[in-house]
Amino acid sequence: MNAPVDESYSQRLARRFSRDALALTGFWLIILAFVLAALAPFLANNHAIVRVADGQISFPVLRSLEPIEWRFLINVPLAGLIYALRRPLFRNPQRGGLIVAVVVIVVQIALAFVQPYNDVTNDRTRPATFKLMPLIAWSPLESSPDALVGPSWNHLCGTDSTGRDVAARILHGARTSLAIGFVSQVIALGVGVTFGALAGYYRRWVDMVICRFIEVMECFPSLLLILVIIGLSDSQNNMIVIMAVIGLTGWTGTARLVRGEFLRLGGQSFPQAAQALGAGDLRVILRHLLPNSLGPILVTATFGVASAILLESSLSFLGFGMQAPTPSWGDLISEGRRFIDFAWWLVFFPGVVMLVTIMSYNFVGEGLRDAVDPRLQVK
Amino acid sequence: MSAPLLRVENLGIEFGPADAPVKAVDGVSFAMAAGETLAVVGESGSGKSVTALALTRLLATPPARYVSGAIQFQGREVMTMPAPELRALRGKQIAYIFQEPSSSLNPVFTIGYQIREAIEQHRPEVRDVRGEIVRALDLVGIRDAATRLGDYPHQLSGGMQQRVMIAMALACQPNLLVADEPTTALDVTIQKQIMDLLRELKSKTNMAILLITHNFGLVSDFADRVVVMFRGKIVESGPTAEVLRHPQHPYTRALIECVPKLGQKQRRLKVIDYAGIN
Amino acid sequence: MTTYILRRLLLVIPTLFGITLLTFLLIRLAPGNAALIKGQTGENGGHAMTAEVREQTIKLYGLDKDPLTAYGDWLVKLAHLDFGQSLVDHRPVLTKIRERIGLSVSLTGSALVLSYLIAVPVGIAAALRRGQRTDRMISFVVFLLYSIPTFVAALVLILLVAGGDYLNLLPMYGANSIDASEMSGPAWAWDRIKHMILPVICLTYGSLASISRYTRVSMLEVLGQDFLRTARAKGLSERRVIFSQALRNALIPIVTVFAMELPALIGGTIIVEEIFTLPGMGQLVFQSIEARDQFVIMGVVTISAFVTLFGYLMADILYVLVDPRIRFE
Ligand SMILES: Nc1ncnc2c1ncn2[C@@H]1O[C@H](COP(=O)(O)OP(=O)(O)OP(=O)(O)O)[C@@H](O)[C@H]1O
Ligand SMILES: [Mg+2]
Repeated sequence: MNAPVDESYSQRLARRFSRDALALTGFWLIILAFVLAALAPFLANNHAIVRVADGQISFPVLRSLEPIEWRFLINVPLAGLIYALRRPLFRNPQRGGLIVAVVVIVVQIALAFVQPYNDVTNDRTRPATFKLMPLIAWSPLESSPDALVGPSWNHLCGTDSTGRDVAARILHGARTSLAIGFVSQVIALGVGVTFGALAGYYRRWVDMVICRFIEVMECFPSLLLILVIIGLSDSQNNMIVIMAVIGLTGWTGTARLVRGEFLRLGGQSFPQAAQALGAGDLRVILRHLLPNSLGPILVTATFGVASAILLESSLSFLGFGMQAPTPSWGDLISEGRRFIDFAWWLVFFPGVVMLVTIMSYNFVGEGLRDAVDPRLQVK
Repeated sequence: MSAPLLRVENLGIEFGPADAPVKAVDGVSFAMAAGETLAVVGESGSGKSVTALALTRLLATPPARYVSGAIQFQGREVMTMPAPELRALRGKQIAYIFQEPSSSLNPVFTIGYQIREAIEQHRPEVRDVRGEIVRALDLVGIRDAATRLGDYPHQLSGGMQQRVMIAMALACQPNLLVADEPTTALDVTIQKQIMDLLRELKSKTNMAILLITHNFGLVSDFADRVVVMFRGKIVESGPTAEVLRHPQHPYTRALIECVPKLGQKQRRLKVIDYAGIN
Repeated sequence: MTTYILRRLLLVIPTLFGITLLTFLLIRLAPGNAALIKGQTGENGGHAMTAEVREQTIKLYGLDKDPLTAYGDWLVKLAHLDFGQSLVDHRPVLTKIRERIGLSVSLTGSALVLSYLIAVPVGIAAALRRGQRTDRMISFVVFLLYSIPTFVAALVLILLVAGGDYLNLLPMYGANSIDASEMSGPAWAWDRIKHMILPVICLTYGSLASISRYTRVSMLEVLGQDFLRTARAKGLSERRVIFSQALRNALIPIVTVFAMELPALIGGTIIVEEIFTLPGMGQLVFQSIEARDQFVIMGVVTISAFVTLFGYLMADILYVLVDPRIRFE
């Protein structure tokens, strides 16, 4: 292999990672899942994307978006745009900073004025001179008269017991499932990195105490602990609680890993060199130690997302899922299981989508692990 | 002179990608007579170990590639030998001692067991295997051999571990012992003990020894002949005394000068000047 | 070795305290109980508590005392494994757990043994063919299995082989047939085994990924070791080199992995016992959570944590016993 000599750590990871076909496929599938989830209203909705009637052109889908969707759909591309233009923008740092600040503030103020517009009109049936419907012309909560019909052109993945379109529900459910996997791991990562860094950096009694704490947490099976927490509390089983609980019970692996990396790196000279130059503890941790442990942390986080999605589906099955307006994949599957004898599509389609997503995360995790650990490299 | 015990001809071994190979051994030829002691000298990375391992095709392929050459042992061709014959050759005819005794012994088996394996493999006729193991350990100077059979490698010192390796190699009375830097990993006093032991064993048995080293100091009173390797090639060979007295190749000269002479005031070690060699 | 084991045993003490502290906190922070501590009438999951339940809760968990005294009392109660009485049927929690723990232990135990029997050879095969098609196939399959939620696998298995829609090979639910009490010994045992096959499969397949990956890495590390060259130089056959010399080394770290699987397995029993209506601890805790029977819940949680801790301890001691490098220190 002709490895370029001047490549950075992340470039090296990316190069090794992209040699692994499965991992690369998984990576693009995850990106695809996120894009589809973000664009769900444009893909599955009974509001037309473009509608021309009475000589007027309108965009019903846009009107139906929730404020939070607006914020998401505007801010994510905005962030991408700023990142893409960072070179020309920040050639003059002060001017660039000013421009970015003004744009961001103006956009946020504008977004604050977006009002939810509860449009219940159904463009599928409403006559119009011209209309462009989304690929799936059904909303996830909309019932059709055809309950429990199998896949057809009208309902790509069939309908459920109250006649709702399964494909639309899968597409919108992706938001819930992906968000749970992602957010719960961000929480787990935050807690795990904090404890691991403290233990690995300060060692001695701090390490002792944190290690015991980790061991205590590992004695409680996560599923059991989550059930108990949700069961003992009388919360409304909302999404935030579920994400938080999954995150707060799943950080020990990360903590162990960060601690191990810090202990290992602490033996090398550069943190000491940095300290000798007068860098504070926090600075050493953030600037020197953490970036060097990033690879392994990413690996556990990726596997963590997969297991969080799995865990959430188990919770849904046991009846402790969330009561969100749009159900997660796990909810769809456990709803559908009652009809599994004759309505296979209710479990099959959400099941396959969830399986592919979880596998993608796992393969990305596995590929990252191989890329991070040169000993595991296949030549 | 009768037919040589071992004859290596134009041996070539490569590593790495086929389009940009690392030629670890490049056209090496030499021969050894029965009972002879041959030293292979050369700096680190010059291809000594690769040559030694190739004698019984111990190199894993890949990463290694045998690109050319023939190896004849007692007239039989090793390169094309089928696996069962090759296994009968290994340990029975050609035995090895390696550089790092601590990692060359399996940590989870007792030393007795590891010697037993060799004996059971090649000498099924032996009745009293245990007695044979004890004898092998006695031979290499391990006291109370009978009580040490149950020891695990980590319970022994580095010198003792190397003695166990030697005992294991000698247990089947091989015709050729390949000692790949047997003392490099040991400290100086132990080094001397091990070399003395090898010298003693050499005189007791009629075993040929291929001694690999990068230290000319070990060679002078031990080997009959010397082969000097440099970057995968043999650059000089001949009777030890002659090579030491009249080194032909500049690299040999440089190697010889690296050896601090006993009794002489310690000077700065000479740094080999590669520019002058090429 | 003795010092090593002693040191390990000493480390159990703080962890044990940590477990008791965590359960204690869980109890006091539960909203219903937190209300009781403040002297309000607590709620039990949205329902007002009856006076009797309130009385019992305050007494068992010392909610009227200051935290320190209450924790001390909690420790004493735990030392006697006194978790109070079930709110549902007023029987002692410990008795209820004792009735059910056997089934769950045999379930997890069988699953563990089965996953080792499958995953270790699979991991070795992957290591020996590292980077080749077999290795990739194995990796793909074990991750595929790992990615299937237990309840989905259970549903599909029931649909296919039990219940009669397609095949009717195995019973669908229960630990025994209804007429099991009239069966002779061997017939009863066979009946029990048939009832356990599907649940054990559902618990097993998820662990295959981690154990086989772990075996693979462990084996790969050993395959690069010098002593295998020594073994080959002795003239041992390749099979002997791999399956005697290498395997022994590779297995040492693997014997201890079972403890890490325990939490996931215990979580798995909740789902599996619920689906197959098996009267084990998982079903008990699930029913108790639904019934808001917090004494039973805390009992099961504490016992599960103790069992897992014991598992970790066993794993560490086992490690010492199988690795001569530590055994003869
Ligand atoms: N497994 C391997 N993979 C790639 N290259 C190798 C391998 N083993 C040996 N080589 C190459 O072969 C060359 C010769 O190595 P060899 O081990 O024979 O040196 P040596 O003379 O024994 O040195 P030393 O004194 O350090 O033992 C080295 O330069 C190395 O690059
Ligand atoms: Mg060498």
